[in-house]
Amino acid sequence: MTTPPPASKPGSLSTFNILHGFPEALVRGMRLSFLQDSDYHHLTQCETLDDVRLNMTESDYADALADINVLTPSGLQGAAIEKLVTEFKYLRTQAVEPLATFMDFITYEYMIENVMLLLKGTLSGRDINELIAQCHPLGMFKESTMRSIPTFESTAQGYSDLYQTVLVDTPVGPYFAMFLQESADRMGGEIRSVLEEVEIEIIKSSLIKFWIEDFSQFVDKLGGETATIMGDILKVRADTNAINITLNSFGTPLNEPAMRMSDRKRLYPAVGHLYPAGTAMLVDVGDEDELARVLELFPQYSSIWNIHSAASADKSIDDAFYERDVQMLELAFESQMHFGVFYAYVKLKEQEIRNLVWITECILQGQKEEINKFVPVFSFHAPWRTKRR
Amino acid sequence: PTTQPYQNEKQTMADSLTCANKFCNTGWAEVLTHMSPYGYANFGIAFGLGFSVVGAAWGIWLTGSSLVGAAVKAPRIRSKNLISVIFCEATAIYGVIMAIILANKVKKPEDPVSELAEAWDYNGFYYAGYGMFSAGLSVGLTNIASGISVGIAGSSCALGDAQDASLFVKILIVEIFASALGIFGIIVGIIQSNACTFPIAPLE
Repeated sequence: MTTPPPASKPGSLSTFNILHGFPEALVRGMRLSFLQDSDYHHLTQCETLDDVRLNMTESDYADALADINVLTPSGLQGAAIEKLVTEFKYLRTQAVEPLATFMDFITYEYMIENVMLLLKGTLSGRDINELIAQCHPLGMFKESTMRSIPTFESTAQGYSDLYQTVLVDTPVGPYFAMFLQESADRMGGEIRSVLEEVEIEIIKSSLIKFWIEDFSQFVDKLGGETATIMGDILKVRADTNAINITLNSFGTPLNEPAMRMSDRKRLYPAVGHLYPAGTAMLVDVGDEDELARVLELFPQYSSIWNIHSAASADKSIDDAFYERDVQMLELAFESQMHFGVFYAYVKLKEQEIRNLVWITECILQGQKEEINKFVPVFSFHAPWRTKRR
Repeated sequence: PTTQPYQNEKQTMADSLTCANKFCNTGWAEVLTHMSPYGYANFGIAFGLGFSVVGAAWGIWLTGSSLVGAAVKAPRIRSKNLISVIFCEATAIYGVIMAIILANKVKKPEDPVSELAEAWDYNGFYYAGYGMFSAGLSVGLTNIASGISVGIAGSSCALGDAQDASLFVKILIVEIFASALGIFGIIVGIIQSNACTFPIAPLE
């Protein structure tokens, strides 16, 4: 789409290691740093956050937590994300094409989040420094660019200037351009009116849609094992987005029949197992029963939906999606000589950080019964591993 | 002499295939038999050694890049996994052994003559040339395959060892089988070149 095709292929079993053997081996070494079942067991037994801190000093997080005196969930999250970003940047500096572009693609998702955060924040009139502190570190672009976003006025002309001068230089600029083009064509108006009238969430969903499509195309052109594994992961990601958009649109103006065809349909990515037949059916879905009927036609999603409809207090549909994602990402590590391990590492580390925040929040609020509701990574007791026996 | 068509059955094929010009050949048989057995033998030595080293080098960088990367976070795998590199090196050694054996068999004639005598042992001469050429190819081509195979297995061995230390010995068995391919090459090569001796004097 907007990204040029890769200049070279990753290479087969006997040639991959020429350029990418070292970064891949680094990631596999870093895989050791995931918390084990025993670590999670110890953490869930902790009574206070100081105990948590003591247990964490034996894991790979010892250095990251050395500067923190008193452990809080948000402090832990910040330190863990910083550690992930350091590791990612190290990997990125060791990478050459086409791995370098692949890893950049992983960061674009966070860049989109940051841009939306800055735009939304400036609309609500928040301070720029506070907003930059909240940005995800993996998706930072030039400091000067970020600081200039709030300086634009919140008017039609301001938005148009914002896009033309600032956003067009960022790597996610092309996605913005495509979104504006598509909306301008549809609304028959000019760019400035688009940014005013369309909600921020819809802009973000559209940008993510373009990102997934662009990434899928790039990965297909890489070919080989990478295309197989990453292609599948991105398809599942696109389907998750489509289902979530549909689910979240119930009860909002987006669910009205007139809006569904024109607006909601445009948010469904053009990749995935649900595309094109499933998304065409999802356009007409108006409530949860109709959604259930559509999803029944797709076996891999009907089981997830049943979890959602059956035990809605115990496990939400997000948890079901997380479990399925963790299973797929762990499988990416089972195969060698492909790029999928880099994406899988970032996502699985994020899941681990979510787990740590959940555990520490439960301990802080004293809700010990809820504490086991996390999805462990690389666990021997994972339901999909034990089910086979 | 000019090309003559078959006149009668008594005329053999060889007679009809005479050349118009003294520089052209009567066919592939003449081209191949006119290539000196010394050339065949020495090319055999070069191919044997060269291909073996290509295979060994391929295996070493396949294994080495993974080993260096995985050792960053899991330093304990450093010493054990050098065995994979040693297996790859062994394929190069097979090539050197074969090359030395063959090189010692290449001998020049005792008398410095510009044309070999009528009573020269042409049978042994050609046999030696062809035998040493193919012995070199046997060793060289099998060692390319063996080297790459050990390299990929060694790379996976290093990464697997970094995850779980109990995997190392098991994957080492895969590498042992892979390096056995190189041994097949050198065994067959030695058998092929055993009876090859270059004649150094005409037969009495």
